[in-house]
Amino acid sequence: MSLTLALVVAAAVALGVLLNFAVSRSLQHKQTSDAVRTISPIDVVAFRNLIDPAENEYLRRCLPPAQFRSVRRARLRAMAAYIQVVGENATALVRMGESALTGDDLQVAAAAQQVVNDALRLRRNSAVALARIYLALAWPNSEFAAERVVDRYEQLSGSAMLLGRLQNPAAAVRLASHS
Amino acid sequence: MLQAHSPLWHYLWVAPNVFLLVLALLAWRRGLQKQFPIFVIFAVVAAIEQLTVYVADILPSVTAATWWQIFWVGLLIEAFLKFALVGEIFSQVFGPYSSIAKLGKLLISGAGVVLILVAAVAAAYTPKNSTHSIVSGVHIFEQTIYMVESGLILFLFVFAAYFKLSWNRSPFGIALGLGMSACVHLATWTLMANGKFSPRHDISLIFVNMATYHACVLLWFYYLLVPHKAAQKSEALVPEHNLELWNRELERLLHQ
Repeated sequence: MSLTLALVVAAAVALGVLLNFAVSRSLQHKQTSDAVRTISPIDVVAFRNLIDPAENEYLRRCLPPAQFRSVRRARLRAMAAYIQVVGENATALVRMGESALTGDDLQVAAAAQQVVNDALRLRRNSAVALARIYLALAWPNSEFAAERVVDRYEQLSGSAMLLGRLQNPAAAVRLASHS
Repeated sequence: MLQAHSPLWHYLWVAPNVFLLVLALLAWRRGLQKQFPIFVIFAVVAAIEQLTVYVADILPSVTAATWWQIFWVGLLIEAFLKFALVGEIFSQVFGPYSSIAKLGKLLISGAGVVLILVAAVAAAYTPKNSTHSIVSGVHIFEQTIYMVESGLILFLFVFAAYFKLSWNRSPFGIALGLGMSACVHLATWTLMANGKFSPRHDISLIFVNMATYHACVLLWFYYLLVPHKAAQKSEALVPEHNLELWNRELERLLHQ
């Protein structure tokens, strides 16, 4: 009986999840503009400092082992917070890029495709990085590198700015003057 | 009303399959076979297979053993096509996104292997009827197929939702119909395979299956053939204030 019950319950839950997706899909368009508002800026320099292996090595040399582990855990938690924001920004940019894909302008569509692909790659890397951070929290002495996440984030910022410049030419003049 | 060979029973068996053939024809005329070749093949083959089983059921000359053999063959063909259709939906949804398509393939393959193992364990624990082994075999096989199928379709939805990808209308409708049908069939075939109900109640479960399938065929009609309103052009521009903040961050990097 337990097997039957488990399978029937699993089928009912799966059906509920599918119906929920069907309902949420109809609301998705309305949520696009909300998603854009959820983008939060990241202090890339502070983030880079946090993940710098040299900083980590310096702390290991200077601090007693117990204190190092405590500091390392605090830094890992801060990294996790940054990476969560990075992941959320990537999600918002996927929505934004997809909404721009439907336009008639081929240049905007190409830039939007680039944003979506970069954002998806970043979201994927963020998930992997978060999993590794949680593992590193259990073993604070282990090495952990999140440079790829920061690199991807910067790449995504560039793609998003290009898209923004194409969609709204007045907005990104300052970047053009520096590039 | 809920009796085998009642007018409702005949309608629910024949109508969805006739509709499915009509859908395949209309989809072909609209050129949808280029985008969804496996779905069109599935629609034609599944409809012909079900109508063949129906004709075999009402023909007095067909023995029970022959009918179950026909049912078995049809089930195998339908199962193969359904898994091919899941692959087609995957390609439609994730193919354009090169950054996650490879990961998606890897994960869906892993999910498939896990689902097959779980379904095999469930099948091993399902009671077998030695006097009607072909019947109990069909029940267990249906339970196994629908378990794997519903798991794979659920994976597609969850994976797309994790990355907040929006589905195009047609693959969404096909996947939703296939998924709903698989979930309901999983529940009903599990109850039948485990012999939890009397034969009278089993007929009610068959009616549930047929009604669900009918609803899913109508859902496919809606998502594939009914034109939807053109989406209003989105105003989701990159917000200026965020651009300025990003610019500032990039400027700081450039000046390091």
